[in-house]
Amino acid sequence: MVFLLGVNFPERSLVKKSLESFFGIGHNTSSRLLARFYIHPTCKVGELANKQVLDITAALSDMKIENDLRRSVLDNIKRLKETGTYRGRRHALGLPVRGQRTRSQIQNAVKLNRIDRRL
Amino acid sequence: MVSSFCWSCLTRLPTPRPLLSAPATIPRAASAAASFHTSTARAFPMPTKKSRSLDSGPKYRQAKSARMKKKKPTDKPRPPPIGERKALRKRIVLSNPNALEVEGMQDFDADTMVDSHLHGDVLGLPVTMLDQLRAVQAFKPKQGWSIFRRPGTVVRRETLEMGRLFDRISGDGADKGKVVKKIVTGPKGSGKTVHMLQAMAMAFTKNWVVFSVPDAQELTLAHTGYAPLSDEQPDLYVQKDSTAALLSRTAIANQAVLKDLRVSQNHPALKTPVKEGTTLEDLTKMGIRDPALAWPVFEALWTELSATSPAAGFEKSFKPRPPMLVTVDGLAHWMKNSEYLNMESKPIHAHDLVFVRHFLSLLKSGSQNPTLPNGGLLLYSTSASNKPSLPTFEVALEQLEARQAGVNPSSAEFPQPKAYSNPDPRVLEIANVSKPASAKEGPVEVQTLGGLSREEARGFLEYFARSGLLRERISDEMVSEKWTLAGNGVIGELEKLGKRLRVAAQ
Repeated sequence: MVFLLGVNFPERSLVKKSLESFFGIGHNTSSRLLARFYIHPTCKVGELANKQVLDITAALSDMKIENDLRRSVLDNIKRLKETGTYRGRRHALGLPVRGQRTRSQIQNAVKLNRIDRRL
Repeated sequence: MVSSFCWSCLTRLPTPRPLLSAPATIPRAASAAASFHTSTARAFPMPTKKSRSLDSGPKYRQAKSARMKKKKPTDKPRPPPIGERKALRKRIVLSNPNALEVEGMQDFDADTMVDSHLHGDVLGLPVTMLDQLRAVQAFKPKQGWSIFRRPGTVVRRETLEMGRLFDRISGDGADKGKVVKKIVTGPKGSGKTVHMLQAMAMAFTKNWVVFSVPDAQELTLAHTGYAPLSDEQPDLYVQKDSTAALLSRTAIANQAVLKDLRVSQNHPALKTPVKEGTTLEDLTKMGIRDPALAWPVFEALWTELSATSPAAGFEKSFKPRPPMLVTVDGLAHWMKNSEYLNMESKPIHAHDLVFVRHFLSLLKSGSQNPTLPNGGLLLYSTSASNKPSLPTFEVALEQLEARQAGVNPSSAEFPQPKAYSNPDPRVLEIANVSKPASAKEGPVEVQTLGGLSREEARGFLEYFARSGLLRERISDEMVSEKWTLAGNGVIGELEKLGKRLRVAAQ
């Protein structure tokens, strides 16, 4: 088991996939991170050298991911609502925000658009 | 007038349908009239129509479409243990006890490999050599070794030529210690990989040292670790695991040769100084044990094997080094960007990997000494079935062929890359070889393998027949037919034909 940013990953899991398990890291960011520390894309967590683990953890702790990112997204929505913008209102009503029609197919907006959006 | 039907079989005529037939089924009500059931159908409740939520129309903000039920996740069977599937995929079977033993089949040795009487015959690979050939991964999983009693290869014209070349390089004649460089090309199934296998078999018989890269693609596929070579050269990348694998192939296959040779040079790049009297086998094992040292150890081994005289202080145990055979299969994969990314997430060119760079630098002519000072053969082959689309490399090969044919590089006939095609200058550099300074070194040649001749095809098909696979008389017509069907004797196609036809077509 290897700790990356305080999360325990089994040794057989891919480094790329493990990085992508953090909120805010997708394919692009994880590929760039791997390239930065000369880790090949099929590398397993168990194959990482100690220095690489430390480097990755240091790089991750500098990034805005997980709860920081969640908080900032929620703050942005809240700010929109508080300034009384149309986008803020639509968030609060649970309706599409970006000008989609509302005659049909707005289930995702109904489900997701809240002031306290679940992320 | 003749009746339209036969009188004798009137009885068999279909009986005419009765004009007024009784109804086939008597109405049930009539028969039920006599029954004594007293309960009527009304006593049962009418089946009510099932009410479905969709009939009443969608509720406010509810989807109209039918909801799909989620399938319950079924229990997955446990995957097989790690490495088992790959081992099965890469398994190489060299013997089939059901196939007949071919009587009188000769073995591959120093005499038979140059014997022109055996042209067209199939020579068996000696059993003692199989482990060495397996170690350098000369056999490939998709080749048809598993249908015969024991592995064997056809002696074709190119094989005999190569055998003579090996004889000349190892012999005492004028060509002793010569370096010959070849790029083997040819259509799919023309036997390029088996040609390299034969070269390795010859090298093992002549006690050469064999370095083999069985699959060039593996180095550029980004499936093994990489790191910058050093702080001074951050644009070059070393692949320590691949290098360790190469060392381990070399150590197992050439154990007999390497354990007799001793260290004769100083190696400052190795952190721990190598003691005098260390065998090259031990040196190689050092790199296998610790992959971090693999690249310096490989460089040290290369310096040792290309040494012509000992350094000061090492004179006591110096033995002349044997010639070397270097084989690379699937060269085209080294002529493009690899899948590795550099620090800025830009692709790394395959020529920036030191492993690849080392083997490609051998194609260039050495400044004063030949690239392999003790002589040897470079045999780099392309692959036709796993071939990246590389117009520049194709032009480079054409240019090499043109040079070989004596076309002046400044003439109009000399092949050039297409205008606006943005050719890769580093790949074109391969074809831009200067004339070797040393007489012991030949220029890079392109050898194109084609189909077998009819005589060779006959020998090959006879081998199938004598192994009990092809139950047909091997006549001239039959050989000619199969030779034509196989695209003028492409050996891979001939093998398919030999395997497929099991019963004589009478």
